[in-house]
Amino acid sequence: MNPSELTLLVLRLAFLLVLWLFIFGIVYALRSDLFGHRVRKLATDATPAAAAPGAPFATPPPAPVPAAAPFAQAPSASASAPTEQFSRQSAAPAAPAAPAGPEKATTQTATRLVITSGPKSGTEFPLGSEPVTIGRSSDSSLVIRDDYTSTHHARLMLWHDDWMLQDLDSTNGTFLNGKRVTVPTSVPLNTTVKIGATSFELRR
Amino acid sequence: MPRQSNQATVPREAAPQTGKIRRLHLPQKLRNLELFLLTIACGVNLGAVVLVQLGALGLIDTTLVLLGASLSGLVFALHFVLRFVAREADPFLLPIATLLNGLGIAMIYRIDIANNESGWASAAVRQTVWSGMAIACAIAVILIIRNHRVLFRYTYVAGFVGVALLLLPLVPGLGREVSGARVWIGIGDFATFQPGEIAKIALAVFFAGYLVRNRDSLSMVGKKFLGMRFPRLRDLGPILVVWALSMSVIIFQRDLGTALLYFGLFLVMLYLATARLSWVLLGMALFLGGALIASQTLEYVNGRFTNWLDALNPVVYDAAGGSYQLVQGLFGLAKGGLIGTGLGQGRPELTPVPQSDYIIASLGEELGLAGIFAILALYLLLVARGFRIGFAGQDDFGKLLGVGLSFVIALQCFIVIGGVTRVIPLTGLTTPFLAAGGSSLVANWIIVALLLRLSDTVRNQPRLVV
Repeated sequence: MNPSELTLLVLRLAFLLVLWLFIFGIVYALRSDLFGHRVRKLATDATPAAAAPGAPFATPPPAPVPAAAPFAQAPSASASAPTEQFSRQSAAPAAPAAPAGPEKATTQTATRLVITSGPKSGTEFPLGSEPVTIGRSSDSSLVIRDDYTSTHHARLMLWHDDWMLQDLDSTNGTFLNGKRVTVPTSVPLNTTVKIGATSFELRR
Repeated sequence: MPRQSNQATVPREAAPQTGKIRRLHLPQKLRNLELFLLTIACGVNLGAVVLVQLGALGLIDTTLVLLGASLSGLVFALHFVLRFVAREADPFLLPIATLLNGLGIAMIYRIDIANNESGWASAAVRQTVWSGMAIACAIAVILIIRNHRVLFRYTYVAGFVGVALLLLPLVPGLGREVSGARVWIGIGDFATFQPGEIAKIALAVFFAGYLVRNRDSLSMVGKKFLGMRFPRLRDLGPILVVWALSMSVIIFQRDLGTALLYFGLFLVMLYLATARLSWVLLGMALFLGGALIASQTLEYVNGRFTNWLDALNPVVYDAAGGSYQLVQGLFGLAKGGLIGTGLGQGRPELTPVPQSDYIIASLGEELGLAGIFAILALYLLLVARGFRIGFAGQDDFGKLLGVGLSFVIALQCFIVIGGVTRVIPLTGLTTPFLAAGGSSLVANWIIVALLLRLSDTVRNQPRLVV
């Protein structure tokens, strides 16, 4: 069965075609690859959480809840320079007018965790609706590898949609706004949590 | 990634609420995509072997087809291992590597037919067996290394192993000299192995670990000059050591390509770790200076340069060790034209060593420009996936390792294919996955396994590492 010249030509072209189809198949699959997927998913998830998804920072939400009215300026303060923010925090205990401190971080208000000091300062980490474990072990969600962090150091958990900070009996402690956390404590927005050499805040 | 892992933990979250443990079957989208692409790749490989037989023999011989099918079986075994131990691994690496490996086997088989070799003398049979061993090694790596950070602990061990493997061919009685280069080891007459291929993995691990530990002194200090921050004189130690190592490879092992490969690898990883262009300029100046001196003093390097610059001169063409091989390869590529002569219908055997160093020229003759570009696109995709994995990694060691391992494949392609197509002087290195040679196959499959492991850990946990 010696194949004819024409059969071989057709087979040769078909082979090259299949080869290229394979490559374009991969390129097509890459388009909807996991890494690309993420952006779209985040965008749809973030919409209900932040009132103005385009610029959640610059314009504070129009405060539909009356209780939030006295603290309407708080989110806008976080947009300004860190030094200014620091002065706001240090001024907070001095002003007794604030009855319950800054606004609570809930799944509705807090969308991200921002590292404010330490080696990865400036990194963000999106908050979903599941707890965040913090520690040196590699199965934590937020792995902090310095000598002051315990293997399972602390965790951020949800209690009726409120973010609570719990210290998991760590050696060097977890500090919320400078005070050591002993019992699960509710975490306000834009307040420094310090673990080891790293501090972070929950932000809108 | 965080979103993806959120989804993966859904069953764990749901369990306490319902009160009993329910096992949810999440569809393994990535693995299914991989299975689909893998089936196509195996089909193309089978088609290539059948086309070779139709073109060269005019009939279909089932023995080698069966051998190829058993290799496909092993690749599918690797796929199923991934389903259990690395569910989130990158789905493109395995099909691309399989396709490149299969195309190589088909081409080697084609040369065997031209040389009338069969049985154990046939390079294609040996290549298939080596491929099987290489894939088995890849499976073992995936199963043993469950987290790439384990390698970080063995940074200096890896460095020691890498240098030892490099020096192994120089041991008397163990080393073998093949066509001038002393880069093989062998026991008796069989089982020759090129330890330098494995050394590149060990050195990539070492460079990554070393640079993660010590990069601060290499990146922070130094004087600004011409808009770049140049390192201090005392920080030049590491680069000089690696430079001396690659120069000694040129001098003692008489292998230009390997030296360029290791030095290029170190330079790129140094650049990645420090983000300083001055290191690259400094390193390139060092290497070019060294190569220039070598070309003046070492006869074989000088010969390579003459063959490259003056290839079509009849004197050089006819000289012993002249440009005959290079020019034959170019003639073959020219004969191939746009769509090639068709598998099994060209004369690639006219070029010396058409199945190893010159496999690109052989493939170019029979598949044409369209086929060569397809192969280059496959390499491009493979390396791009590796870079993407490194880029997405959270820990610095994983980042450096991922990019380093994939860059080594890219650089090796450039050195070989650039040499064959007369872009740079020709040096003896294997084309990854394609060329006949067991050590190269084993090394490259291990690289694929490490990248698969890396991509799995990157996509799973942890989400943020400080």
